[in-house]
Amino acid sequence: MLPFLLTSGLTTGALYAMVAIGLVLVYRSTGHINFSHGELFMLGGFFAYSLIMFAGLPYVVALFLAVILSFLLGVISDRLVYRPLIKAPGLTMVLATVGFSYLLKGIGRYFWGGKGEYLSIPAIVDPAPIFINDIPILPQQLIVLGAAVAFMVAFALFFSRTKAGKIMQATSENPTASYLVGIRVENVYTWTWGVGAAVAGAAAVLMTPLTLITPDIGATLLIKAFAATILGGLGSMTGAVVGGFAVGLIEQLASGYIDTSLQEIAAFLVIMVVLVFRPAGLFGVYGQRRA
Amino acid sequence: MLKLISPVPVFCSAAIFAAALPAFANQYTIFVGNLAFIYIILTLGLNLLLGYTGLLAFVNAALFGIGAYATAIARTKFGIPYGFALPLGGLAALAVGVVVALPALRLTGLYLALASISFAQFAVWVFAHWDPVTGGPTGIRMAAVAYGFSGSWETVHYYVSLAICIASVVVTSNILRSRVGRSFVAIRESEVAAEGLAIDLTRTKTTAYGLSALYAGIAGGLFAPILTLVVPESYDLFQVIVQFAMVVVGGLGSIAGAIFGAVGLIGVQEALRATKELQEIAFGGMILLTVLFLPSGLAGLLRKYLPEWREPLRRRGDDR
Repeated sequence: MLPFLLTSGLTTGALYAMVAIGLVLVYRSTGHINFSHGELFMLGGFFAYSLIMFAGLPYVVALFLAVILSFLLGVISDRLVYRPLIKAPGLTMVLATVGFSYLLKGIGRYFWGGKGEYLSIPAIVDPAPIFINDIPILPQQLIVLGAAVAFMVAFALFFSRTKAGKIMQATSENPTASYLVGIRVENVYTWTWGVGAAVAGAAAVLMTPLTLITPDIGATLLIKAFAATILGGLGSMTGAVVGGFAVGLIEQLASGYIDTSLQEIAAFLVIMVVLVFRPAGLFGVYGQRRA
Repeated sequence: MLKLISPVPVFCSAAIFAAALPAFANQYTIFVGNLAFIYIILTLGLNLLLGYTGLLAFVNAALFGIGAYATAIARTKFGIPYGFALPLGGLAALAVGVVVALPALRLTGLYLALASISFAQFAVWVFAHWDPVTGGPTGIRMAAVAYGFSGSWETVHYYVSLAICIASVVVTSNILRSRVGRSFVAIRESEVAAEGLAIDLTRTKTTAYGLSALYAGIAGGLFAPILTLVVPESYDLFQVIVQFAMVVVGGLGSIAGAIFGAVGLIGVQEALRATKELQEIAFGGMILLTVLFLPSGLAGLLRKYLPEWREPLRRRGDDR
């Protein structure tokens, strides 16, 4: 049983890590948590569903188009929610993004809800499991894992090697100084929201063939991504990745060895334990938080 | 001279109107009115936390549920009469609220928001999975309340809710004029300055959480019998959104705002009852639009167009 739990834990962990990366990206550059991030994931999945099932596009094309649409959705969130409130206190911003998340959830339910509530898209590869040393592995799991790792590596390279990545880092480090050296800080924020949403969209398209997608998936996934970021340390990119995999594994192991119902609340328990005993998480510094 | 357009006379006339309503209203109007009173109590409680103390917590929907479940369990499992089960519901929510507040006291801002939103999810999970106590996903069904008066029990329940609602408004406004209420606002404006004024942060915040939980629990106890069914879905994250929308649209840190927000949005919810997605769009959209264009809510409009209208301890700088 252990190898099976590990593979599925790593796969869902990769998904959580990707969602958490988007959250942390926005948090690092703006100091705000986007409570509508889960809904961006949900809509990304539904975009891909429509592109594949109704427009009949191949999976890979749909993946790219859904990522672009999610990016645009992120840009819309920036223009509609973040930019008008850029100087507002944190409480106002949380209320605004929470409100926005339900607006998006309602839109998702309006267009894609009620079709049996649970939608899935066919896997790009043979859905039958392959056996490696007698461990059943779904080919789609390998694809999710591979693609997630590829995305993470691409991100790391983007931040450390490209000019755009360095500009984003500079903005998150010190917005005022960035203004002074000629960086258009608002435009950087727009890109950050877009890229964060795009990663969520990509995660949704990769995951939908394995799990299912519903209008209500956003809130569930948001909590898991919170757990990942808090475990890793709010604001740490490495922490988000490690935390994502850890939450995925903890969930599977707890449901396999203790009780299946724990899968749903493992993330909650992780959040509680970390906040009570080590609020800084694994890779963060609590004193430097931007709340 | 007593000014007619000021909170006390307006509130008294509204209360008299509400008391007279059952004489010429049908069963459905009474049901909606009852719901509005319950949501006024909830919104007042959440406003103490969010609007006056400035603590961003998502726990009130869960505490509302705990009040409802505790009342229902006390009645169905232990046969306690409703007159005692209702305060028990309030006390159960108060107890859970204070216990949850203890770890939450260490957290500020976003951390508090994240921890409390996951607590809200957890509570719904417990409601749905603790079958021997909560009845699992099918919930608890209970009999109508036998009040021992002639006439329909719904009408009697309407008056009970109205009385508790009026009491909460009066109590809230008195708390806000007291030392405790001023301490809440001091914490909202600046925790450091509040500590400098010898305000005990831990005790004051715990008081805010506890009071807010008590309001939510009693509202839950009143809510449980009007549907005669207590199910987990009534207390999920959408409930959080409904309450947030009422506080925000009415106006953060305003008693009049809490009343307008609750009554107005109950109307919206009833109008859209058939479609969940339209409710989500309406409530989410209203929060967003209010935050963007009317940050002080309906109460802010009131202050702008009726300069006579005075309410203590509103948020400064909200009126543009």
